[in-house]
Order: sequence, then structure tokens, then C-alpha cells
Amino acid sequence: GRRTVPRGTLRKIIKKHKPHLRLAANTDLLVHLSFLLFLHRLAEEARTNAFENKSKIIKPEHTIAAAKVILKKSRG
Amino acid sequence: MDGRVGLRASRRAAPTPRVAVRSSPRQRARVREQEPVVSAMSGSGLGKENKAGSSTPLRHRPNAFSELDNATPRVMLVEWKCSKVELQLPDLVPEDASVTTFRMTRKRKKLSISEFERAADKRLPQNQAHSTLDSTLVRSLRMSVGSVMAPDTVEKRGLLRRPQNHKAIDIAAFEGGVEQNMLQIKAQDYLVDLQTSSMTGTTTIRTDAEVVLNNTELFVEPQLGEQNLLAVEPQLSDSKTSAQRSNTSYPAHEKARLEGLVSRVSTDERRTLRFSEKDLITDHEHVDGITQKTPAKEGEDEQDHSQQNDPMEQFSESEEMAGTTEHHADAEYSEHSEKKLSRKAVSQLTAAQDAGVEMEMTPSEGGVAEGTEHQDSPKAELQMAGSPGGHSPASYSLKKSGAKPLKEAVEQTGEIERGTITGVLDAAEEEATDDESDIEDHESEEISMKTPMFVHAAAYRPHPVLSPPHPVKSASPELPPQPVRAKPVPKSSGAAQRKTREPEIASSLIKQIFSHYVKTPVTRDAYKIVEKCSERYFKQISSDLEAYSQHAGRKTVEMADVELLMRRQGLVTDKMPLHVLVERHLPLEYRKLLIPIAVSGNKVIPCK
Repeated sequence: GRRTVPRGTLRKIIKKHKPHLRLAANTDLLVHLSFLLFLHRLAEEARTNAFENKSKIIKPEHTIAAAKVILKKSRG
Repeated sequence: MDGRVGLRASRRAAPTPRVAVRSSPRQRARVREQEPVVSAMSGSGLGKENKAGSSTPLRHRPNAFSELDNATPRVMLVEWKCSKVELQLPDLVPEDASVTTFRMTRKRKKLSISEFERAADKRLPQNQAHSTLDSTLVRSLRMSVGSVMAPDTVEKRGLLRRPQNHKAIDIAAFEGGVEQNMLQIKAQDYLVDLQTSSMTGTTTIRTDAEVVLNNTELFVEPQLGEQNLLAVEPQLSDSKTSAQRSNTSYPAHEKARLEGLVSRVSTDERRTLRFSEKDLITDHEHVDGITQKTPAKEGEDEQDHSQQNDPMEQFSESEEMAGTTEHHADAEYSEHSEKKLSRKAVSQLTAAQDAGVEMEMTPSEGGVAEGTEHQDSPKAELQMAGSPGGHSPASYSLKKSGAKPLKEAVEQTGEIERGTITGVLDAAEEEATDDESDIEDHESEEISMKTPMFVHAAAYRPHPVLSPPHPVKSASPELPPQPVRAKPVPKSSGAAQRKTREPEIASSLIKQIFSHYVKTPVTRDAYKIVEKCSERYFKQISSDLEAYSQHAGRKTVEMADVELLMRRQGLVTDKMPLHVLVERHLPLEYRKLLIPIAVSGNKVIPCK
């Protein structure tokens, strides 16, 4: 099963990037949710790329191409 | 984006009569206040279309109402957009978010710290009770020896509490441990020694170095003096110029110097360790540092000061040298100091370090001279320890190489002993635990009496004034500083590494999640790419969230901001509300936190 959400680590990461920014109570959970969905999209895109290359294994190049697309999509 | 933001802002704006149709789930609360209007609105059949506002807006915008039945939020927004000109866009008013800002995390942090301190304080009294007399020292030493830990564990202990080992130092135990460490150090030292010509002499002395080093503390204990003399003399002659040799006449002083140099590094065993390490350090330092500094200093010192000062000068010089090396050690020792056995030793060392700092600060060896004048073996040693410590920061770069082996050796030698000394060092460096301060206080008093400069130096450190340490303890502090110095160096790096590590999502978690979503085998390199993407993603969203909260005039990221982010990402749509995503992807315990559940008794969990 899935492990517990790394709430502390999430907060630290955001603090590292934006030290002046504060987080409300359960916002880190929503941030984690968005992160999960981001990985989900990334996984789908990478899998699609791999299938298109007729490969049954996800290779770094598939992931890189997928990352470009999904990161762009995940911008606010 | 502006438009959308504007819309959003309008959405968030407090419902005003002028705002005809703006509904958002968040505003429902406010909207509810205007039940009549809302009910009318809701009559349209679109809950989302609730319009906050009086009936006037409704009248003003009959078209909007007509669309209510069919209007979707999006349509309404479009309408709204068009009618923006007509409407007075409400100022961006931060939602009176029903969600209050929680400061739990902050509080938690504070709590944890306070708890930590409390725990530490508890241990302090326990430890303090033990360490008062030599006998207690012995007992504590035994205990500490028994619980000698690997450097890794030491680091952990450091987190737990430095004062843990508030025990008297058992000389025998220390020496035993020191000897073991010495063997290791010797191996390292030999490498260093070889480099310096004087090293040859010192290397031979090494075996006796421990003894000699211990001798540095001879000031405290005349017995070792003889040994020190032997070690000191050869070392002096080799490393130092005649100035040093003149000091030979003052074997005690010389030893003190050496001790000072080494003491910082080796604080594990009262004497043996220190001396051995001191020798190493002094040797290195003497050769390298002294040659660099001493020539200038010696001339100055000798001229300015009387003979009494000469030893001081030498001390200062050696201290400087030692300081550099010790500096390294100090850092590492600081880590160890937490565990230290003899706080006094540490405090003494710190005092000495402070003195050393003074030395550095003021080339005039007044402080040092003062210390030497008193010339109590412990004091001198302390000074030595202190001055090197003081110098070390200044002359840190000087003897890094030399110091390193010493430091390493020191670390190995006496974690227990180091504890006290490193504690002192740490205080100097950064950490000043209560335990250390206690010890240091004792020692610093002695030192302060002798050298006002040292006192000043101590001022740098957060240590409080210490009560005069016992002679035995004074001896021990001398030793610990040296080994302590050596130890902290690696420890600090290790501990510092631990602290300075950047926060990252666990790669194992990323692997788990990604592989679960992708359902096909993934190469290891691909995982690396995913990790990098995750970092970039967090960077992106943190700036996005900051922009959103700033836009709302808040300094805290709220749930609304994150929801807005997900909406803009295309994750949350009209067809896909947030709660559905929460239900799908988050574990149950978190779902409960995020989705309010209505339970009987007019309760909603979590309560808002």
C-alpha cells in the first residue's frame, strides 16, 4: 500500500523555494494531491511515448519528452 | 489570465449588490446570509449560480436571471465579463475565508524545540549530580567509556543531548580509550609527520606524544611534566626557532603551548590524548604555522614581552597554529562535545579558546601572557586550548591539512572525553549546551581570572562564567580540547551534512507512485528524470501558489489557492470537482481531513 504523505517534507520543500510563504492547515495535502496527479499525468504520457516507440519499458527519453509536455501543462 | 483572475477576484469579492451574478462555492456562505436572494437564485436551479446580492442586482440584470436556468458558472462568467463595464467590479477583497490560518506547524516546531530543551534540562540535573568530584568524574568516565559510541551514534547523541555524559572522567578509562585512538591517530599522524621535517622527531615522540601531550597538561600535573619536557623539547627545537628553545627553559610553558595546540584537537583523554594529538598538531602546526607566523611573532613577542611572555608568545603562536588545526577539530568536536564527559575540560578549553581568540584578535599577547603568568598547568593548558581555538577561526586556513589528521585522530580517540571538550569547542563554534556551559563556567573562571582577554574571548561564546575547576578537572579539559578539536571536525561535517541536506521527496515514494501509475517496468534512469521533474514541479507550484495568495492579498496559501492551481492545471474542472479527486487519490485518513462530512447532531467533520 501507499505510504503516508510526507507532509513535513512537502512543507520544507516549499519553504526552501519560498521561505516567506506560509501554508494553511491542510493545504499541503492538496499540494500532495496535485503532485500525485502530476505524476499520474507524467506516467500516462511516458507510457504513451513508450508504446509509440513499441517499447514495453519506460525509458528516460520517453520520460523526458513527457516531462516537457506535462510540466508545461502544469503551469499556473 | 487577467480576465480569469479578474473573474476570480470578482468571485471572491464580497457579494455586493452591484455584483449581479457571481457565485462560487466559497461564497455560498456569504450568500446564505442573503437567503432571500439566494433562494430566489437557487430557484433558478443552479446552486452554483447563487447570486449574492439583493434583489436589485437581479432587477438590473434580468438577462442574467433569464440565463440562470441554463447558465452555467462558465456562461455566467462570460456574461459577467461582457458586462464588466456596466458592473462595478468589486475590489479585490480577500475572502473572509472561513478557513482560518493555522499556525500549527509553527507551534509544533516551537513545541518540539521546547520539548527538546526540557528533555535536555532534565538530563542536566541528573548529570550535574554526578559530575562534581573527581570520583564522580571517574565514575562518569567509566560510564562514558562503556558507552563509547561510533561517531555516527555520537552524532545522534548530540541531537539528544550533549549533557548526557555529565560524568566524571576516569583517567584510566580515558587513557585506555585514548591509547586506542592514538594508534589510529598515529597512523594518520605519520603521514602528516612525514611531511614536516620536524615530524621525524615528533613521530618518534608520538608514541610518547601521548605522554608528552599529556605533559602539556603537566602544568596541571607535574608528573607528566617530565614527559612533556621530553616531547616538548624535541618538538620545540624542531619546529620553533630559538624563541621556542628559550622556552624550553620553561618546559611547562612549552608544554602548555603544545598542549594548547594539541589540546584543542585532543580532548579525549585528559592528557594522553591531548598530548599525543597536541604533538601531532603542534608538530604540524609548528612546522607550518609557526614558520609562517612565529618568525614574525616571535620577534615581536620576544621584544615586547618579557621572558614570561615568551612562553606566552610561543603559546600564542602555537595557539594560532593549533587554532587553525583545532579550528577544524573544534567544529568536529563541537559535535562531540555534546557527549562530553568532562565539561570542565571543555569549559577550560573553551576558555583557552577564547583566550586564543583573544590572541588572534589582539596580537599583543597580553592575554596569553596573563595566562602564562599564572601558569597553572591547567590554566596554561586552558589558554592553550583557548587561544588555539581563538586563533583557529582566524588561522583556520593555515593548518587545515595538518589539523585534519589530528582532528580525525582526536575524534577517534575520545568521544567521551571529547564530549566535554568538544562541548567547549562547540560553544565556541556554535553550540553551547547547558552542560558545556556548566563545565566551561568552572574552567572559564580560572581562566578568566588569569587572563581577562580570555574572558573577553569567552564573551564571544555563550558560555557563562564557570567556577574554578578542580585541578584534576583542569587537566582533563586540557586534554579533551585537543582530541575534541579533532573530533568535531569530522563530526561537524557529518552533522552539518545532515542538517544542510536539502529537503527532497523520498525517491522511494516517487518510484512507488510512478510505477503504480505507469503499470509498466521503468528503467532506473527514467526514475531519475521523474525525480528531477518533481523538483521542478514543486518549484513551479510554489511560485504559482505565492502568486495566487499574493493576488488575494494574503501571505498564506489557503485551500482556495491550491484549488485554483489545480483548476488552472486542468485537473479540477466543472465536470471534475475537487472532492472527487480527493476521494480517488488520497488515502482515507486524509480524505477525512479534506472533505467535510456531515454527521448527526448537526456536526460537520472536520469542523470549520
